[in-house]
Amino acid sequence: MRNVIRGALAAGALAAAAFAGAASAQAQETIKVGILHSLSGTMAISETTLKDAMLMLIDEQNKKGGVLGKKLEPVVVDPASNWPLFAEKARELISNQKVSVVFGCWTSVSRKSVLPVFKELNSVLFYPVQYEGEESERNVFYTGAAPNQQAIPAVDYLMKEEGVQRWVLAGTDYVYPRTTNKILEAYLKDKGVAAEDIMINYTPFGHSDWQTIVSDIKKFGSAGKKTAVVSTINGDANVPFYKELGNQGVKATDIPVVAFSVGEEELAGIDTKPLVGHLAAWNYFESVDTPENKAFIDAWHAFTKNPKRVTNDPMEAHYIGFNMWVKAVEKAKSADPDKVIDALPGVEQANLTGGVSKMLPNHHITKPVLIGEIKEDGQFDVVEKTPDLVPGDAWSDFLPGSKDLEADWVGKKCGNFNTKTGKCGGQGS
Amino acid sequence: MSRYRFLDTAGLIFLAVVLAMAVLIPASNLLLPPDNPLHVPDYLVPLLGKYLAFAMLALALDLVWGYCGILSLGHGAFFALGGYAMGMYLMRQIGPRGVYGNPILPDFMVFLNYKDLPWFWLGFDHFWFAAVMVIAVPGLLAFGFGWLAFRSRVTGVYLSIITQALTFALMLAFFRNDMGFGGNNGLTDFKDILGFPVQAQGTRAALFALTALALCGAYLISRWVVTSKLGKVVVAVRDAESRTRFIGYRVENYKLVVFTLSAMLAGVAGALYVPQVGIINPSEFAPANSIEAVIWVAVGGRGTLVGAALGAFLVNAGKTWFTGVLPEFWLFALGALFVLTTLLMPKGIVGAVSDLLGLRRKSELPSAPPAAPAPPPAAAPAE
Amino acid sequence: MASIRNRASTLAALLVLLGLTFWGAISPAVADPLDDALAGFTTDKYDDTEKAIQGVVATAAPTGKAIFEALAAGRLVFDPESKSVLIKDAAGKLTLAKTGEAAPADLASRPLKTVRANNRIRRAVEAASGAFELQDPNPRKRIDAARAVFKSRDPAALKAIETALATEKDAAAKEALQQARAAIILGKADAPEADRVAAADLVADVGDQDALAALRSLPPGSPQTVKDAADAGIASIERWLSVANAFQDVTFGVALGSVLLLAAIGLAITFGVMGVINMAHGEMVMIGAYTTFLTQRLIHSYLPAIDGASLIIAIPAAFVVAGAVGVLIERTVIRFLYGRPLETLLATWGVSLILQQAVRTMFGPTNQAVSTPEWLQGSVSLMGVSLNWNRVAIVLFALGVFFALLLLLKRTSLGLKVRAVTQNRRMAASMGIRTPWVDAMTFGLGSGVAGIAGVALSQIDNVSPNLGQSYIIDSFLVVVFGGVGNLWGTLVGAMTIGVANKLLEPWAGAVLGKIILLVAIILFIQKKPRGLFALKGRFVDA
Repeated sequence: MRNVIRGALAAGALAAAAFAGAASAQAQETIKVGILHSLSGTMAISETTLKDAMLMLIDEQNKKGGVLGKKLEPVVVDPASNWPLFAEKARELISNQKVSVVFGCWTSVSRKSVLPVFKELNSVLFYPVQYEGEESERNVFYTGAAPNQQAIPAVDYLMKEEGVQRWVLAGTDYVYPRTTNKILEAYLKDKGVAAEDIMINYTPFGHSDWQTIVSDIKKFGSAGKKTAVVSTINGDANVPFYKELGNQGVKATDIPVVAFSVGEEELAGIDTKPLVGHLAAWNYFESVDTPENKAFIDAWHAFTKNPKRVTNDPMEAHYIGFNMWVKAVEKAKSADPDKVIDALPGVEQANLTGGVSKMLPNHHITKPVLIGEIKEDGQFDVVEKTPDLVPGDAWSDFLPGSKDLEADWVGKKCGNFNTKTGKCGGQGS
Repeated sequence: MSRYRFLDTAGLIFLAVVLAMAVLIPASNLLLPPDNPLHVPDYLVPLLGKYLAFAMLALALDLVWGYCGILSLGHGAFFALGGYAMGMYLMRQIGPRGVYGNPILPDFMVFLNYKDLPWFWLGFDHFWFAAVMVIAVPGLLAFGFGWLAFRSRVTGVYLSIITQALTFALMLAFFRNDMGFGGNNGLTDFKDILGFPVQAQGTRAALFALTALALCGAYLISRWVVTSKLGKVVVAVRDAESRTRFIGYRVENYKLVVFTLSAMLAGVAGALYVPQVGIINPSEFAPANSIEAVIWVAVGGRGTLVGAALGAFLVNAGKTWFTGVLPEFWLFALGALFVLTTLLMPKGIVGAVSDLLGLRRKSELPSAPPAAPAPPPAAAPAE
Repeated sequence: MASIRNRASTLAALLVLLGLTFWGAISPAVADPLDDALAGFTTDKYDDTEKAIQGVVATAAPTGKAIFEALAAGRLVFDPESKSVLIKDAAGKLTLAKTGEAAPADLASRPLKTVRANNRIRRAVEAASGAFELQDPNPRKRIDAARAVFKSRDPAALKAIETALATEKDAAAKEALQQARAAIILGKADAPEADRVAAADLVADVGDQDALAALRSLPPGSPQTVKDAADAGIASIERWLSVANAFQDVTFGVALGSVLLLAAIGLAITFGVMGVINMAHGEMVMIGAYTTFLTQRLIHSYLPAIDGASLIIAIPAAFVVAGAVGVLIERTVIRFLYGRPLETLLATWGVSLILQQAVRTMFGPTNQAVSTPEWLQGSVSLMGVSLNWNRVAIVLFALGVFFALLLLLKRTSLGLKVRAVTQNRRMAASMGIRTPWVDAMTFGLGSGVAGIAGVALSQIDNVSPNLGQSYIIDSFLVVVFGGVGNLWGTLVGAMTIGVANKLLEPWAGAVLGKIILLVAIILFIQKKPRGLFALKGRFVDA
C-alpha cells in the first residue's frame, strides 16, 4: 500500500512541476494579448476563425512595430466550449500569464461566466459577437451588435420592401433569442401587428429535426398575408433548418427568412442553391466593396494561406476592437487596464464598410446595419444599408425592465443608471 | 486483511495528504508574500478546489461502480443538482446588487417578466435550507430512480444507458428558460456566501479548505461503507448478483442504499464546486461530463477509492495543462491517455503502480474488482 | 405593397402583349423600346431592373423568355461601359440579349457585371415567366403555372387564364386552370355573386393550404352568401387537414425513425452483437459524412459529367473508409479488451476524441457543404400531404440497409461465423473459425454501416467534427430500447421513438416532447428491463 501512495505523490509532484513550468512565463518586453476562443467542442466551429483573425491582427501590428515600441505577444488558450472552463482560463490568462487585454467569448453564457473574473482582476475584455444587450460592464467592450443594431432595422426592411404582415420569430432557447424576440414582439405590436400574426417558437441547441416546425411555418404562412421568419437560431441548428426549408420547398419569394446568426462562415457549410434570396442582417458582409475590406480580405487569405476562407461580421468586430485598443493604448501611453478603460470611450476607428465607428461611453460602438440576401455562391448581396451609423444601445427601449436604464462609464461611471430615480443600480424597488 | 481494516495505509496517507493540502495551501496563499517560491498563486486556489470537488465526485462514483458494479453514466446529474441548489442560494444572496437592482428576483427572472419568485425558489435564501437541499434533492432523485430500476432488476448496460437518458433529460429540461433556472446562462455572478464575498481570496482559501475536509469526510464515509458488513454484501452483489440474491439478501435494497448515498456525496461535491468556479449551467448535466467522471475513476483505479480521487485530480490537472500549452492538439493527448490507460493499466494508476512494484502480499489482494465482472450481453443477432 | 402592385402591372402588360403575339400579330421587335427596356438592367438598381422586366414584357421580345431565365439564374450580365446586356448560358457562352446572336468577341473579354436580383426582382421574374408558361407545350409546365396563379390569386392573370382555358385540351391542365380562375373570381369584389359562390366550392375542393389561404382572404364587404360558402369550404378543408396533419406527423415520425435507425444500426452490430460499448460509433458516422463530402468534391472537379451520381458512389466509398478505420481500431485497441466491456467504453471514448480532433485538424472546424443531387429534391403529394423525395429516400435507404444487414447475418457464411463467435467464442474457435478475423470483420462491418449512415445524414445535418456526438446518445437509446443484440428490436425501437417524438412535438413542443420521451423510455425499461425484444436463453445472464 505504501507504494501506491508513493506513486500517487510522485504523480502529484509531476503535476505540480508542470504548473510551475507553465507559470514561469518568459519575461520579455512584450505586451501580452489573451485570446479566449474555443478551439474544440461545439463552439469551435465559430470561434476558431476568430482566434486566427486575432493572430493575424497581432501579426500585422507587430510588422508595423508593435505598440508603444513593444511587440505584442498573443497567448492562446482553449476553453473547449465549456463555460466554467472559460472563467478558469480567463483567470489563468490574467493572473498567471499577465495579459493586458483579452479578446474572446462567443456565447452569452461564456461572457457571463468570465464577467466576475474580469471585474475581480480588473482587466479588459473585447466581446465581438452580436448579443442580447441588457448589460454594460466597466471591464467589457462590446464590439458586436446590440439588438437595435441588427434586429429592428431588419424588421423595418421586411415591412417596407417585402410588405410582410405576419411574423414567425424562431429561435434557439437561450437568452439572446429570448431578448431579441421580446424586443421585436414589443416593436411589432407597436407598429400595429396583431398578436395572432406573431408566432414564437423555441428549439433546443443543436436541434436537428425541423420537419414539424418548417411545416408549421408553412401553415402559418398560408393565411393569406405575406409572412416572414425572423430567425435567431444558433450555430449548428441552422444547417439542418435551412436544409429542411430547401427540402420542403419554402422559397425566399414565398416566405423569406431573415437570420441574425447566419453569416458567410455558416453558409460555407451549406449547399446555398435552395437558399438564394433568404436574408441576413449584420454590420458587415464580405461582399461589401470598399478598399479597406479588400485589403482585409487579401491579408486574411494570405495569412491563412487559403484563398477560399471567408470573412464575417465578428471578425470585423475584432478588427475594430483590436485597432481601438491599440489607439487607446497609444493615447494612454500605457497598456494598464484602468488607463485603457478610461481612454477607450471616444476612440474612433474606420470600419470595413466605409464608415467610422466610435466607442461610446456605454462601451458599445456605432455600426452601420446591412441587410443582405444570400447568393448562390454563399456570399451576401447587400440590399439595404442604413444611411448613418447606429449607436449601440445597451438597455433596450422596448423592454419594461430596462427602458429607464442607461449606461455611461464616462460621466456617471455607472452601467445601469436609472434615469427615473436618478440613481445608479438598476430599477431599485 | 486490509479489506476489513477501516483505514489501511493508503487511506491514512490519502487523508494526511488531503488534510495537509487543506492547511498548507490556504496558509501559503494567504500568509506568504507573492514572491516567495512556496507561495501558491491566487488563481491556483480555486482551480485546485475544483479538482478536489471533482475528486469527490469520482469517489462517489467509485462507490457505486467500483464496489457495487453499477456503472452510472449519469452521476453528473446529481453533481449538477447539488450545484444548482447551492447556486440558488448564492443567487438569492445577490439581493439588490443585480443589474436590474431587484431585491428579490434574480436578474434572469426580471428579464423573463416573472412577477414573483417561483415556489421552488422559496427557502433558498437560508443557507441551512439550501444545504439540506444539496443533499436531499440528489438523494431523493437517486432513491426514486434506484427504487424503480433496482426493483425491476435493470442491470448492466441497460442501467448505464438509462442513467445517461436521465441526465440528458435533465439537461434538456434545465436548458428551457421556462423552467425558471436561468436557461442556458444558468446561475452566475455570485456575490456572497454566508456573508463573505465569494471573490475574496480569504473566502476562496476557506472554500478550498472546506472542500478538502469534505473530501476527507466523503472518503471516511465511503471507507466505512465498504469495510462494513453492508460493504461486503455490496461487493458480493457486484461479483455475483444472482448468487447473492439466492442466498437470501434483498439485493435491490443494498444497491439502493449505496446508490442514494453516492448521489448525496455527488451533490455535496457539486455544491462545493459552484462557488469556486462561479457558475452553474445546464451543460454540467451533459452526458459527456458523466462519462468523463467514469474515466477519472478508471484512470485512477476502479474500486480503490483513493485511486478514483487521484484519477480525477490528475486527469483534470492534465486537461488544464494541455489546454494551455497545446490548445490545438490537447484532445489528441487526452484521447491517447484514455486509450493507453485502458490498454496498459487495466487497473488504473493505483493498480498499475502496486503491480509494478510487486510488493503486495497475497493476503492483501487488491480490492480492485476482477477483470470482467459483467460479460457483455452478447447474444445471437436478429432472433 | 409596392411589389404586388408592380407584379400585377407586369403581368397585365405581359398578358396583353402575349395575346397579341399568339393571335398572329407577331411583328419584329421594335428596336427602340427594347433598347430602352434593356438599359434598365445596366444601372444596378432594383427599381430600374424591375421596370426593365416590365419593359421587356411590353416589347414581347422573342428573347424575353431567355432573358428572364438568365436573370433568375444570375446569368444575365452587362458591360458597364457600352451598356450592352448579354445572356450567358450555362456553359458560359455569351449571346446578345437583344437579338439572341452570339456576342462579339471584344465584348466578351470586357469585365462584365451581373444583373443583381433580390426577392422582389425574383418575384417579378416568376410572374413574368409564369404567364409565358401558361402557353408552354408541356402540360406539366402549364399545370405548374396554373398552380402558381392559384397561389398568387392575381386578378391581372384572369385574362390569360381564360385565354388558356379556351384552347386547353389536357384534362388535368384544364382542371388546374379552372381552379386558378375560381381562386381569382372568389376574391374579385366585382364578380357576380353566383359565380363567386360557385368559385368558393371549386376552391374548397382543392382542399390544401393554398385553398385555405384563398378562402380566408375574402375582400371586405363580400356578400353573405359568398362568405357562407367560403366558411363552409374552410370548415371542410380544416376537417380534412386535421386528418392529414395526423398523417403528416406519422410520416415525419417515420422519417425521423429512419434517421435514428440509420444512426443506430451500425451500433446494433458493434454494441448489440459484439458487446463493445462503442463510444466512437458517432465518429464512424462522421467519417462516412466526410467521405461523402470528399467524394462529391473529387467527382465535381474530375468527372463533372456524373455529378448527379456522386451520392451513390459515396455509399461504397463511405462503407470502405469507415470500415477500414473500424478494422484498424479493432486490431489496435479493441481486441485487447474482449470480455471487459466497460473498459471498451473508456478506450473508444478516447478514440472518439482523437478522431474528432483529427478531422478538425484536417478539414477545419467549420461545416462542409454537401449538396443534394437534383433527383433528391422536390416532393410528391400524397392525399394532401407532401412527402419530400429526400426523406422518402432516407426511409427506403434505411430499410434497404437494414434488410441487407439482416440477410448478411442470417444467410451468409460470414454471418454464421459472426453469430457463432459472439455466442460462444471458445467453441467457435475449436470448430476452426478464425475468431480474430471474424472479430475484425464484424467490427469493420458495424463501422462501415455507420459510415453509410453518414452518407444519408450528410443530406440533412451538419457535416462537421461534431456530427457524431449529436447522434451517439440517441443511437444507444435506440439499441437499448429495442433490446441489445436484436436487429429487429433496433428497427422497431427506432420507428417507435421517431413516431412518438413527432406525435408529441406538435402537442408539447420540441424540447418538452423529447424530455417526455426520455422519461417514458426510462419507465419502459423498468417494465421490460431488457428492451422491447428481450433475448431469452442461457446467454442472457452470462
